[in-house]
This record gives sequence, structure tokens and C-alpha cells, in this order.
Amino acid sequence: NQTTRQPKFEEFEQIDFLRDRHVRFFQRTLQVLPERYASLETTRLTIIFFALSGLDVLDALDVIDRNTMIEWIYSLQVLPTEDQSNLSRCGFRGSSHIGIPYSTKGPGVLHPYDSGHVAMTYTGLCSLLILGDDLSRVNKQACLAGLRALQLEDGSFYAVPEGSENDIRFIYCAASICYMLDDWSGMDIQKAIEYIRGSLSYDNGFGQGAGRESHGGWTYCAIASLCLMGRLEEALSQRELDRIRRWCIMRQQSGFHGRPNKPVDTCYSFWVGATLELLDVFQYTNFDRNRSFILSTQDRLVGGFAKWPDSHPGNWFDLPKWLLQENLVIDAHCHRQIKNAKSERQLWITTIVVYMGFVSSLLFFLSVERDFFVKVPATNTLKNSVEATGVEWS
Amino acid sequence: CFIFSALSQYCGFAVRKPTPVCLCFRDRKEWADLEPVRQDDGPNPVVKIAYSEKFSDVYDYFRALLKNDEKSERAFALTADAIELNAANYTVWHYRRVLLQALSKDLREEMRYITAIIEEQPKNYQVWHHRRMVVEWLNDPSEELEFIADILSQDAKNYHAWQHRQWVIQEYKLWDDELEFVENLLEEDVRNNSAWNQRHFVISHTTGFSDAAIVEREIQYCLNQIKKAPHNESAWNYLKGMLQDRGMSSQPGLLERVLELKETHCSPYLLAFLFDCYEDALENSVQRENAEEDERKETLKKALEICELLAQEKDTIRKEYWQFLGRSLKNRFVTGGSSDEPDVAESSGKQESN
Repeated sequence: NQTTRQPKFEEFEQIDFLRDRHVRFFQRTLQVLPERYASLETTRLTIIFFALSGLDVLDALDVIDRNTMIEWIYSLQVLPTEDQSNLSRCGFRGSSHIGIPYSTKGPGVLHPYDSGHVAMTYTGLCSLLILGDDLSRVNKQACLAGLRALQLEDGSFYAVPEGSENDIRFIYCAASICYMLDDWSGMDIQKAIEYIRGSLSYDNGFGQGAGRESHGGWTYCAIASLCLMGRLEEALSQRELDRIRRWCIMRQQSGFHGRPNKPVDTCYSFWVGATLELLDVFQYTNFDRNRSFILSTQDRLVGGFAKWPDSHPGNWFDLPKWLLQENLVIDAHCHRQIKNAKSERQLWITTIVVYMGFVSSLLFFLSVERDFFVKVPATNTLKNSVEATGVEWS
Repeated sequence: CFIFSALSQYCGFAVRKPTPVCLCFRDRKEWADLEPVRQDDGPNPVVKIAYSEKFSDVYDYFRALLKNDEKSERAFALTADAIELNAANYTVWHYRRVLLQALSKDLREEMRYITAIIEEQPKNYQVWHHRRMVVEWLNDPSEELEFIADILSQDAKNYHAWQHRQWVIQEYKLWDDELEFVENLLEEDVRNNSAWNQRHFVISHTTGFSDAAIVEREIQYCLNQIKKAPHNESAWNYLKGMLQDRGMSSQPGLLERVLELKETHCSPYLLAFLFDCYEDALENSVQRENAEEDERKETLKKALEICELLAQEKDTIRKEYWQFLGRSLKNRFVTGGSSDEPDVAESSGKQESN
């Protein structure tokens, strides 16, 4: 019977985990992002969720104004209109990008294109709970109606009622919503289970849907959904669960990767690590190698964690970068942005130095090559003025 | 001047070249009838993105069009500007699709448009979904396989590309040349897990894996690839995946071939495969009442040796796991246990309440 090692947080800090830097990183994230983060506009609520979760895990929620944040999240709720004609479109928006005037109260505003997004409803509810809100201002029935409208015949979900891609990610969002609202009338569980089972690959990981390549992120969505539903051992046999455990545990290379023969990435320390924990076998992974990898991606200056140790430009914020450290979960963001800010600062300094160097060398060059000086006609007035200052006219 | 301009190119952001005058929508007289709609984040915005004037201008007018549900050419043109600024805005794409239908736009031209955008941003969900919608409306998949092959030539593991490919093939029954496509990709990179997955996808939807000749062909294919590149989890996963429900130890002669490979082409995956064969053999022997007790003990011993080898030498990162598997196996079979479904995650994990 193996005892799980449980390092204390203090011991963890000794391994150079820069808690305060990460807290400040999350604080900055919650303030303003530069325009090059435009692609995050429709998913801003998920960014808040990542930052709040990170602060929560670091026990640092005191650095933010909870009430302000709660109000802003409620302003994103798509509420029923007077005539309730938009019930199937209710939930939470990712941001104000549609242009609905700010409001935290109902009734909802009639707008031809306003609707919730399943991942925003999930992260919105989760963020409210993290902030200590009791969800009393959430129109639960409207959320559940909006959720029902998103499920397809095959059991998967769209993200939005106007249609989108449909896959296992949104089953996870739906299961999370039902769990938090403690009301499973929002989805047909049996159909969802069928879709999940159908996504189990020949190699015992889960793909985004039937036939698709198995992947750490979708495996998490599958297993976590079943756990939230309380149906893990009903949906999957012991043999299947053991095979899934094997697929997951083979993902560890140092940190974890998401698919066989792909490079490791900090985010999979969460996706795969969390799945292993849900399957009771995270304890059999190599903690030291995982932790060393994660810490090697830590940005010591501005906080946050990168995808890889020498993070180079690539997609970031595709997935939350969560780390499972024994029982400690730390929100880790790929922070190419912040790294760019740091290097941009350096670049400014370099530029100024180079310019000054250029200008001074230009002046030096010009000073020794007098032919470059334009010969000004030497009027007497000019000559007298110059000599009056004590400078020799030459 | 040359040095100066060269330097300013190098540090382009520090010295801004004079930008051409941006004819914002708010300055265009043909848009004067429309009142732009600002984004309203209330008194205390969170994670606010600091947009430039140009960006806000385009999206303020987008919001205005959206509010009025305007269906016009100017609206259609503006969606392209909005997409250029943020191709991840799913509302813009949806609105564009509404306009494509309402204005009966040329869908072939739209295919050219979306092709160019995907080439620039191949990991964006919205662009692939849009392409799928247009292909469905045209009911014409004729460009798809070649287009996806081109995207895969830039990133052979792009998940969106493979997903779209599977959809096209399944929807329009384009199976014929796919196995050849997969084999070519595996020639280029035998470790491409996406290609191995596609191989399984194609075969399971065409010939299937029931035919013994197909299974033997696939086993041979796997073993050949393993000989070329032994440390390849994908090949071993494919082999195991194909056989695990038929009985790992049921394929005649396979165990011997793998044991041969162990001498010259060993890997953690080979050893894990052997373990799974032995475990399967033990499970089956439990069913057979007249099973040789000695044979079972021998199989168990070999399985436990594999666990030790993996834990101590060949796959040390998973040492704890292999030792756990060894213990579980012993617990199940050492007392000549029953054929009840054993809970392999018995002892350790479950005692902790999560």
C-alpha cells in the first residue's frame, strides 16, 4: 500500500516557486491587455476564470475587488426578454463585444444576435463561485433552457445556439454547468455518455469525437464529465479504465505531452495530470520530473509559466496552463505576451542606446570631416556674435 | 539616410513610418446613416483589451450592423475587415454566413477566401467550421483532400485539418485513396501519431479488422515499422489497439515474433506489450479449468519480470506505476483467483477520499 507523498507548501516554495510573481501576473491579466490579444475578445470571461482560479489556488483573492468582478460577470448574463422569446439563447456571454448596453439586471434586451456561449456560462458560474457569490442572481432555468438547446442528437453540444462545431469539450462545459446548478435537466446524460464512449480511441485515449486522434485535453473532458455526472464506473468497465490509465500515464515524458510523439507542454501537466488524479493513479507518476519541467518554464521576472522552457512564438491561451502538483493546483498561463513586454522593454532600451550611439558617432564623423559642414556665408553680424561668446571663429 | 532608414526598419516600432491616412468608417459618407455602437463594459471593466482607433472603428460599425440585422453588400464587405482584425470572433463569421445566404453570394469565391484565411491561421476553430459550412452548401468536396494535404504538409499533426479530413471522407465517401495517403505520410514520418490514427480510421470504416488476412497484413506492417524505428509508441499502440479485444495472446506466433524483437529492437512499448500479452494469457487461463498450473505460474513470473525490468531500467519514469501493476497482477493471480472483474486500482488510490 503505497503512501502518497504530500509535500507541504513551504517545501514547495523552497524549490523556487515564485508565488508573488504569479499573483502579480494574474492581477495584471485582470486589468488591461494590449490590442494584439484581440483574438481573446469573445472569450474574456474564460481569462477571468483562469486568473481567479490561479489566485484562489495561491490563496491570494484578497488582491482583487470581488464585488467589482462579480458585477462585471453578471453584466454578461443573457437574461430572458419580457416575452421570454429568447430562452433557448440564455446563458453567459464571453464579453460585451455584441454591444449590449451594460446591465446587471433583467429583463434581457432583445437583440437578433445576442446569445450565451456554453464555455462562458461554465466559466462565468465557476468564477462567481470562486468569488464567493451564491448564484442568486443567476436565472438558472434560463441557463438550463439555453443549455438544452445546444445538445445534438448524437449527445455532443454546440457552443452557441446559432451553430458552431460540436464536440466533447462542450459536453464537459455542459456537465460542469449542470453540476454547479445542481440540476441535470440541462442535458440528456445518456446521450452524452454515448458520445463520450464513441470518442474512445483504439489506443485507449479519447479524441474530440468518434474516430479522432486521442488527445490529453479531450481525455480530460471525457473522464471529468463522467465524474461530474457520477457515472464513471457505469459508463466504462474496469478493463477500459485500466487501459485509459495506461494511455494517460504513458503521456509523461518529463512533464506531459498531449499525444504520442508530440513535445511536452505545461498545460498537459494539468489535462493529463488531473485525469490521472480522477482515475486514482496520479500518485504513480514521477513528481520530481514533472515539477522540474514545470518550474523550468517559470518566468522569473514577470510571473506565469510558458508552454515550454524557451518559449517561442506560437499559439498561447489555447488551453489553460494548469499544473497539478501533488494536491496543489496552480494556474499557469502561457505568457508570450508578458515575455514580449519584457523583451519589448529591452528592445526599447537597446534601440535608444543604439540610436544615441549612432547619433554620437555621426556627429563625431561629421566633426572630423569638416567638408560636411555647410559653409555659411560669414556675415559680419554672425562673426561678431560668435566671437562675442568667446568661441573662436574658424 | 540609408543607414537611418535601415535602422528604423530594424527597430520598426520605434520609428513609425507615416501611416497612410486611415479612412475610418465614421468618416465615410456612405456610412453616415449608421450610428456606431461602442462596446460597453460598464464602470469597472475586467481584462479590458486596449483597442486602437482603427480597430474600434471597424467593430463599432459591426455592432451597429448587427443590431439592425442589416443585410447588405456594405455589411458583407465589413465582415472581411472585422475578420482581418480578429478571425476568432465567431459572431462575425456567423453574420457573414447569414449574409452569404441572404445576398446569394458566390460560394466559389467564398471558398477561395476561406482557403487563404486558413493558410494564414490554420489553428483557428472558426475558419475550419466556416469552410465546412460552405462545402456543405456547395455539396462539393472536390477541393478538400488536396487542400487539407497542403495544410498537413505545413504541419502534419494539425488536429483541425485531420478532423476536417475525416468529416469530408466520411460524409462524401472518399475512402479510396486514403490508405495510400496515410502510407505516404508514414513514409515521411513513421512517428506521426495522427497518421496512424487515420490508418485505423480508414481500415475500420472500409475492410474492417475482422478478416484474418487484414489483421495479419496490419501486424506485418506494424512490425516492419517497428524494425525501422523501435522507439515509436504510435506503432505499438496501433498493434495493441487492433488486438486488445480479440485477445492479445490469441494471435498465433505473434508473441514469439515480439520476443525475438525484444533482443534487437527493445523499447518500453515492446515490454508493455509483452506484459499485456501475459496478462491476457493469465485471464484466459483462469477461464479454462484444466489450465496448467505451472504454465500459469511461469506466465505470471515472466509478467512480473517485465514489470521489474521496466521499473528499474527501461521505463524508470513510470517506476511507481509498473511496480503497482506488478503488485496488482500478483494479487489477482497468485492465489489462483476467481474470474470476477478484479479492481486493479484496489489498494492505494481508493482509500483516499477526493
